[in-house]
Amino acid sequence: MSRPISTLRASAEMTNGSIFPVFDPAGPYAGSITTLTWVLIAMFVAVLGVVISALWIALRGSGQLKARLGGTRAIWIGGIGFPVVVLTALLVYGLTLTRNLTAPVPQDAMRVRITGEMWWWRVAYLDRSGRPFMLDANELHIPAGRPVLLELESNDVIHSFWVPQLSGKLDMVPGRRNTLPIQADAPGVFAGQCAEYCGGPHALMGFVVIAHEPAAFDRLMATRRARRPAPDARGRQLFHSTGCAACHRIAGTEANGMAGPDLTHVGSRRSLGAGILPNNRGTMMGWIGDSQSIKPGNRMPPYKTLSAAELQALAAYLEAQR
Amino acid sequence: MKSETGFDPALYDRFPTAGERPESELKELERIWCAPKGWQLLTAVNNNYIGFFYVAAAFLFFLLAGILALVMRVQLALPLQGILPQETYNQFFTMHGTVMMFLFAVPMVEAIGVLLLPQMLAARDLPFPRLSAYAFWAYFVGGLCFFASLFFGLAPDGGWFMYPPYTSITYSPGINADFWLLGIGFIEISAIAGAIEIIVGVLRTRAPGMTLDKMPIYAWAMLVLGVMIIIAFPSVILGTLLLELERAFNWPFFDPTRGGDALLWQHLFWFFGHPEVYIIFLPASGLVSMMVATMTRTPLVGHYLIVLAFLATGFISFGVWAHHMFTTGMPNLSIGFFSAASMAVSVPAGIQIFSWIATFAVGKPRYNVPTLFLLGGIVTFVIGGLTGVMVAMVPFDWQAHDSYFIVAHLHYVLIGGMVFPMFAAFYYWTPMISSRALSERLGKWAFWLMFTGMQVTFWPMHLVGLMGMPRRIYTYLPGREWEVINMISTVGAFMLAAGISAFLIDVARNFRFTTDNDAGNVYGGGTLEWLPTGLYSARSIPVVKSREPVWDDPHLAKDVKAGRYFLPGSATGLRETLVTSPVRAEPQYLQIMPGPSVWPFLAAVFTAGFFILLTIQAYMPSFACGILAVVCVLRWLWDTDRLVKEPEVDVGAGIRLPTYVTGPRSHGWWAMVILLIVVGMIFVMGVFSFFYLYGVQPRFWVAPADLWSLAIILPAYGAAAGLAWLARYMLAREATEHWTPGVLFLCGAIALAIGIGADLWSWIASGLRPEASGQGATVYALLSLEAMLATISLLMASYISARNSRGMIVRPRNNSLDLCVLWVIYTAGQGALTAVLTRAVGG
Amino acid sequence: MHRVRALLPLLLTAACKPPPDEAQHMPQADPVRGKQAIVRAGCGACHVIPGLRWPQGQIGPSLEGFADQGLIAGRLPNRPDLLAAYVRDAPATLPGTTMPSMPLTRGEARDVAAYLYASGKR
Repeated sequence: MSRPISTLRASAEMTNGSIFPVFDPAGPYAGSITTLTWVLIAMFVAVLGVVISALWIALRGSGQLKARLGGTRAIWIGGIGFPVVVLTALLVYGLTLTRNLTAPVPQDAMRVRITGEMWWWRVAYLDRSGRPFMLDANELHIPAGRPVLLELESNDVIHSFWVPQLSGKLDMVPGRRNTLPIQADAPGVFAGQCAEYCGGPHALMGFVVIAHEPAAFDRLMATRRARRPAPDARGRQLFHSTGCAACHRIAGTEANGMAGPDLTHVGSRRSLGAGILPNNRGTMMGWIGDSQSIKPGNRMPPYKTLSAAELQALAAYLEAQR
Repeated sequence: MKSETGFDPALYDRFPTAGERPESELKELERIWCAPKGWQLLTAVNNNYIGFFYVAAAFLFFLLAGILALVMRVQLALPLQGILPQETYNQFFTMHGTVMMFLFAVPMVEAIGVLLLPQMLAARDLPFPRLSAYAFWAYFVGGLCFFASLFFGLAPDGGWFMYPPYTSITYSPGINADFWLLGIGFIEISAIAGAIEIIVGVLRTRAPGMTLDKMPIYAWAMLVLGVMIIIAFPSVILGTLLLELERAFNWPFFDPTRGGDALLWQHLFWFFGHPEVYIIFLPASGLVSMMVATMTRTPLVGHYLIVLAFLATGFISFGVWAHHMFTTGMPNLSIGFFSAASMAVSVPAGIQIFSWIATFAVGKPRYNVPTLFLLGGIVTFVIGGLTGVMVAMVPFDWQAHDSYFIVAHLHYVLIGGMVFPMFAAFYYWTPMISSRALSERLGKWAFWLMFTGMQVTFWPMHLVGLMGMPRRIYTYLPGREWEVINMISTVGAFMLAAGISAFLIDVARNFRFTTDNDAGNVYGGGTLEWLPTGLYSARSIPVVKSREPVWDDPHLAKDVKAGRYFLPGSATGLRETLVTSPVRAEPQYLQIMPGPSVWPFLAAVFTAGFFILLTIQAYMPSFACGILAVVCVLRWLWDTDRLVKEPEVDVGAGIRLPTYVTGPRSHGWWAMVILLIVVGMIFVMGVFSFFYLYGVQPRFWVAPADLWSLAIILPAYGAAAGLAWLARYMLAREATEHWTPGVLFLCGAIALAIGIGADLWSWIASGLRPEASGQGATVYALLSLEAMLATISLLMASYISARNSRGMIVRPRNNSLDLCVLWVIYTAGQGALTAVLTRAVGG
Repeated sequence: MHRVRALLPLLLTAACKPPPDEAQHMPQADPVRGKQAIVRAGCGACHVIPGLRWPQGQIGPSLEGFADQGLIAGRLPNRPDLLAAYVRDAPATLPGTTMPSMPLTRGEARDVAAYLYASGKR
């Protein structure tokens, strides 16, 4: 028997996400929080050290040390003075940082609207006037080295957008619009996940951010804008007759459903099922055939009656949507 | 020495009295206080029984919720486990949090209070024993039914904080969410009943001479707890009412498309939810303070600072609720305020920690099981507190929020701050209620397993949180290195469970419940609960001259047992206790206490039945239960508020006290005022909701307010208040006809009905509908609240008439009438405010 | 649970049955590469495959203990050459099957077959 093969690192391979995202920031917004995190950890260690030493002295220390500790003066110093100084310093630091992190981004920054859905993410790239010009789902492409402003909304329940390597999380609250600046300093792929419990398969609601060199990003956008629907009449017809088009949109075709993720660029996505599966022929067919056994509770019904050839054709058609 | 009530403190010098007391006196005391036997134990109301049942029931729920946690830990030990399907897992974590918070933590701290406070204050019982019994049974029966929902797949799955819109009817169409909303209903009632009991008990039934200054630190903690419950719980009561109204009748409080706002729930919930943490922590801190003093055999260092810390914690904790909402996109100004307040609240915690350390330094600590749990609790709590400071830093919270870092943080705080102290207290106070103490050997096993297990379970969660693992996920994908850490946590959870099992074995082997043959002061505590006691608590109620009387007066126990202090026997032949003044604890009057009764038990069962049957939509049986519950409550009240033959009796050493007082001096008056504060807080939160929604979505405020109708509404309410007051006034007049006060009161209640009727009619005529908008929903919610109070007033009117017809409304003053009058006057005031405020904006 | 159930027949037969290696011996194929191909092609989206934690789709049959299975898809003899052909282009190998063809080279298909045979055994 061959040696056991290590467990598949599906998500890691799919996203190249860091194992320690909070300590491995990819841009200035997350970076300053990482600095803060280290400061807080130092504070934690120092204060815990002080308290445990004091407790140790109280229990096991010499008579003289114990005498110093045993009085209200020790409480004033240790329980009031010490925390007030530490906390005030931290508070100033924290509030300054809060202000910096929520400072307005430049007017010309790229804007993307991300809408939380049960249990995926609607992505709309916005033009200067704030109108969507390109729809996508579950993945976000950004240019590296530039701030991008995300408009976070929700269509159903509360979700929370969290890509820890790029910034802290921010909730998506129905009826409200929150804005979150993110920035990646260098090209890379960053994993995210919904952080506010939203029922059902909340655990399987991932997100992927891909940062490109600015030139490569511009090329990608240009390619996407110039795209023509794949000239695959059979796939297109099947997409329609099977009922896919009722929920999914593919720009330039009659498929215009808005209930489910936009599939215009699905072929070029790194992941399926909202950041949880690698995108390949097998997962595409498996997802179409019975997504419920992969992500139980999601809103897409199983299509177990599709024949092998139909499944094949649909997958091929979708793969061509790039 | 000054006096608060005119009582001459020199009279205290008559104690301890000399000479033997007659043997028959003790026998009579035992006869009067003897507990019912067999099945009749259900009718027991004495705090020794109710307190013990209460603690045991709360601990049962702790075990049940703990078992849920173990199953969840198995599910998470490896990625993509199939132990618990998604929906079951979602129900499990919701129930784990809900049961731990509502069925374990809050009831447990109140239960320990019910058990300990009367003994510690040397009162014969809490001032409202039947209310305690009612609170316990409603909680126990309702709690079990609520927990059972899990076995039918009907348990709530919205998380313990139940955020709408996920919990709205659209996204949670099943009755699972209703189980939470209604199931929590009776627990809220029970918690508030307990709080009223505790506040009045601490302020009015302390042993003579036990001034606030000499009061045990635990009683301070319980006093602050009571006040916090009174202020915090109304918020969640209103929240659950609104959400249930939205679910049942489609009133859009939380629906943004119709002028509601999802964040309103979060404000209401966390205004309760954060103080809740301190509601759990403060009593435990009080217990720790008591035990640290005993274990080091030295008075607590910094007693006053700790009292101040309790008060400061109570106060500040109401200004930190929004730190649970830092990621909702709040404006920076609010963020700054709540961040600062969240940090400020750790200063009082620092005071407590360093006071305990200082006490350890002064004294000679004994390393027994309670001390181990105390030390383990302190270290664990400090770690939780420090991670709390970390998440109070807003940008860090943006990363840590809703991740496993928070799961770790909150378990450190609650286990270190409440669970370990609770186990310390179990070991420490068991000799007070058991004929044998618990085992030191098994206890050490329990401690070390629990302490190690706790650290192994929760320490790694900090890390996995920062590795990006969100909380409340039923599974996770392989490949992010979460599995190793989760496996460690799971192993730790089983260690923790092993420690708790060791404790259970200890209890099974050594705990033998007793009310009069206890193991006694094993650890050498200095406070009054260590006096020899029976069901009547201490034989005689001592005069308290210091904070640790048992330490300071070596003869105290003997003298108390020999009946050389207040109330050596029963003065009236009934259950009774001394009511003392709130600040200096000067004897004021002798309260006649009710004895065993089946009515509180039945009322509780029907109350629980009302809520549970309502949840499963069995409307007719539910309403039948509701009516029966009201009937039972009235029947139980019927026995109370009766005169005894002797208007004044000798309570010992020739000191004579009245047996019946009315007005602000009576304990009933205090309880009613506190209840009105609760109702008032519900109203305040309702008004907050109204203005909050107006502030968020003013464009939905379109319905015109009809100002002219105020010309009917306000006079009606004015008349109601006036008539009620007149009823009280007329009762005192010699020449008044027998029926006049009752009729006047009834007219007052009818005037209330006219007021609320006119207000409702005016809004209905304006065309505003409750389901139309946030305005409609909040206006009608406030009106419904007022209508409910008015209905209760009508019920009161018939109760007063019934009592009057039996000649039980005695002159010149009568408590039943007084308290109902207070209610009506309050209701009139709230009605007038409702009418004005709802018309203040919009249109 | 799945795993236990799947292993059960294996345990029962392991003692009395000659090792199936003879019949299923595939000298040129490499199970390690087979696993990589399985991951790349996404076979797990429809099948529970031993050693593959994610995904574990259930629309297709579980492939645990494949070495001990008598037939492929219930109709074809369980032989290495047929299995390799079937995983690559099922409709051509067994007309009417619900399994679609997969983007695998012939070499990869043999690797996949080797992995399926190897992975059931311990």
